[in-house]
Amino acid sequence: MPPRLNILSGFRALSIQPRPLAQPCVAAQARRLLATDTTSNNASQIQDNNFNGVLRAKMEAFGQVPQEEPAPPAMSENEMALKQLQEAAYGLNTYDPEVHGHKFGVPALPIAPDMNHKRRYDTVVEQVTKLLMRDGKLAKAQRDMAMILNHLRSSPAPKINPAKPLIPGSPAPEQLPLDPVGYLTVAIDSVAPLIKIRKYAKLAGGGRALELPAPLHLRQRRRWAFGWILDVVNKKPSRGSGRGMFPTRVAEEIIAVVEGRSSVWEKRNEIHKKGTAVRANVFSSRMKGIKL
Amino acid sequence: MSAPNSLRCLLRPSAAVPRQIAAATWTPSPWIAPFSTTPGAGKAGTTPKKNVPKPKAAAPRGVGMNPTGKKQSMKKFKKAQGAKTAKPPLPGERKAMRKRIQLSNNNALPVEGLAELEPGTMLNPKNIGTMAALPGAMQDNLRSLEAFKATQFWPMFRQPATLIRSETVDLMNRMQSAASKKETLRLVVTGERITGKSLLLLQSMAYGLQNDWVVINIPEAQELTTACTEYAPIPDTDPVQYMQNNYCLKMIQAIRKANASVLSKITTAYSHPELPQNIPINSTLLALANAAKEPESAWVVFQALWKELMRKGAARPPVLFTLDGLPHIMKVSDYRSPAFELIHSQDLALVRLFSDVLSGATSLPNGGAVLAATTRGNAPRSPSMDLALAQREAEQAGTELPKPEPYFKGYDLRSEEVLKTVSVMKLKGLSKVEARGLMEYWAASGIFRATVDEKAVAAKWALSAGVVGEMERVNLLTMHP
Repeated sequence: MPPRLNILSGFRALSIQPRPLAQPCVAAQARRLLATDTTSNNASQIQDNNFNGVLRAKMEAFGQVPQEEPAPPAMSENEMALKQLQEAAYGLNTYDPEVHGHKFGVPALPIAPDMNHKRRYDTVVEQVTKLLMRDGKLAKAQRDMAMILNHLRSSPAPKINPAKPLIPGSPAPEQLPLDPVGYLTVAIDSVAPLIKIRKYAKLAGGGRALELPAPLHLRQRRRWAFGWILDVVNKKPSRGSGRGMFPTRVAEEIIAVVEGRSSVWEKRNEIHKKGTAVRANVFSSRMKGIKL
Repeated sequence: MSAPNSLRCLLRPSAAVPRQIAAATWTPSPWIAPFSTTPGAGKAGTTPKKNVPKPKAAAPRGVGMNPTGKKQSMKKFKKAQGAKTAKPPLPGERKAMRKRIQLSNNNALPVEGLAELEPGTMLNPKNIGTMAALPGAMQDNLRSLEAFKATQFWPMFRQPATLIRSETVDLMNRMQSAASKKETLRLVVTGERITGKSLLLLQSMAYGLQNDWVVINIPEAQELTTACTEYAPIPDTDPVQYMQNNYCLKMIQAIRKANASVLSKITTAYSHPELPQNIPINSTLLALANAAKEPESAWVVFQALWKELMRKGAARPPVLFTLDGLPHIMKVSDYRSPAFELIHSQDLALVRLFSDVLSGATSLPNGGAVLAATTRGNAPRSPSMDLALAQREAEQAGTELPKPEPYFKGYDLRSEEVLKTVSVMKLKGLSKVEARGLMEYWAASGIFRATVDEKAVAAKWALSAGVVGEMERVNLLTMHP
């Protein structure tokens, strides 16, 4: 049955409506229209209306129009956003971050350091893992690093050589296997050189390079130290076979460093000794006009 | 004086004749290119003379292309010398290192209140989701049976312990009822990779050892079929079967070591005239097992032992026969017959013995269980096994049986026959309760450092889909401290 014709119905369009009251709970801009978000159905309602319109047209063609009154048109996203802007212009805060736009709420501040997926590992572990990587195979390097840490964890406490003291502030040797990341850090920082020898080509006379000590940053020092460890590891033959052997060799070398058996200590002493010797060149007359 | 020369002529020329003589006597034919795969032959003057560069010592110093007077090398890069200087590992040492199993770690924290495994622990459904430590004596027995694998995470903990999951309780109850009714439980444990199939076998072996069963284990079926152990035809068999004596000897020694307490209580009922040493009736089965000292007699001794164990009544214990790596015996092996034809795995006598029990052709008269676990990591393709297991699963679930592909020729009927009537246990992921029990054990061992709450369990469970090996990878093989 078609709706009744009434002259009054013509005035409906002319009705004067007051300005809608500000509703602070609507924040269409911040809404994420997720598939599982059951609270924001605006887009789907629009789609439904379109679908219903098509359906209605088809049913009218067959003379079967449903009796219900047409639903009031839902507010589109754009209209909602405009409304929000209007409200903001009136000085109303329509956006409450605790309520809107967060399906699982806001995390507690301060955010834990490992919550960022790009910085989820310890800095030393992350740097050393990248140094372990060959052919861009980061996942393999990460697996190797995990095996290194497991090897350190399951090995007996190291016997410290007093002639090769570890970095000051390192924990007792009995504590080291309980904290494999700390174990690794202590080993690397203990053999990390403080300086490198920088060479200025042809400045020493006779075509020789003039050598100067140059300080290293923390990351650089660790990189040098682990590079030396890797050099030793790559020259050592495996005692076994299989994919666990490379991490085993690295872990054994790290233990050797902490116990003072490793040849990496000699490399560190060598570079420090040379750095002390070439300290005399810092104020050399040949360096005049050269920016360090 | 002529005797050594005449004997030497029987030897191979390369071994007997000194190299200089060989080089001097053998001149290359002009029709043969100066190339040899033997490094010595190429060096020993076979190249034509005009290609040989003049010795550098003849050139005066500082003259010509090489003013330094050093020997010129045509190699672009020097070879790394480091690895060559060290002593190479002895034969077998590298493999031994790879297969080394470390079962304890004194750095790991001892877990308070961790119960030791008792004969009835794995039967009680109340224990689902708890960990049970393996007692020290049993560790040695399981080690001799090679129940532990090198890829498992044993070295992370103070003592080996296993999770009792619902499948464990189910299997142990079935084993117990089979033993009490003197029936044979024939079961295949299957499932995706690292779902705990081998560990379920380990648990069944632990149950068997604690409940005075005789436990026999084939830890890696591939050792039997990939042609890496010696084999010989068994005389008077038609069709010919093959024995693997070295493997048999190893297996008997494992059986003897693991089941010594049970075997020493049972006495022999048959005289075994075929044995190399006289084992009188009423001597213990341990003495019978001790008769295997040489590989030559191993298969005979194993048969005698099996015959004794298969004797009905006479206070014989139930037998547990397990095999890991089922697809390796569900195919044609890599062995060759004297006619150079490939031998089917079912023609290897030891495999045949296992398959007969698994298929039900022979039953264990004193009850027991025969368990086989599939492997997914290093498995040959066995379409027959896959089909048969899928069919058995469908039978158990009461659904429509999967049909073989009509135009596929790779099916192996002999393998299908073996799996016609077995029952199948498919392992899937852990439940959250079991996952929580596991993670609490890791936390108590000092490996998992975060709080074990519902959120943490759900996160790890979701990452690993509950698969226990993936949970281990997520929690124990990470770069987190």
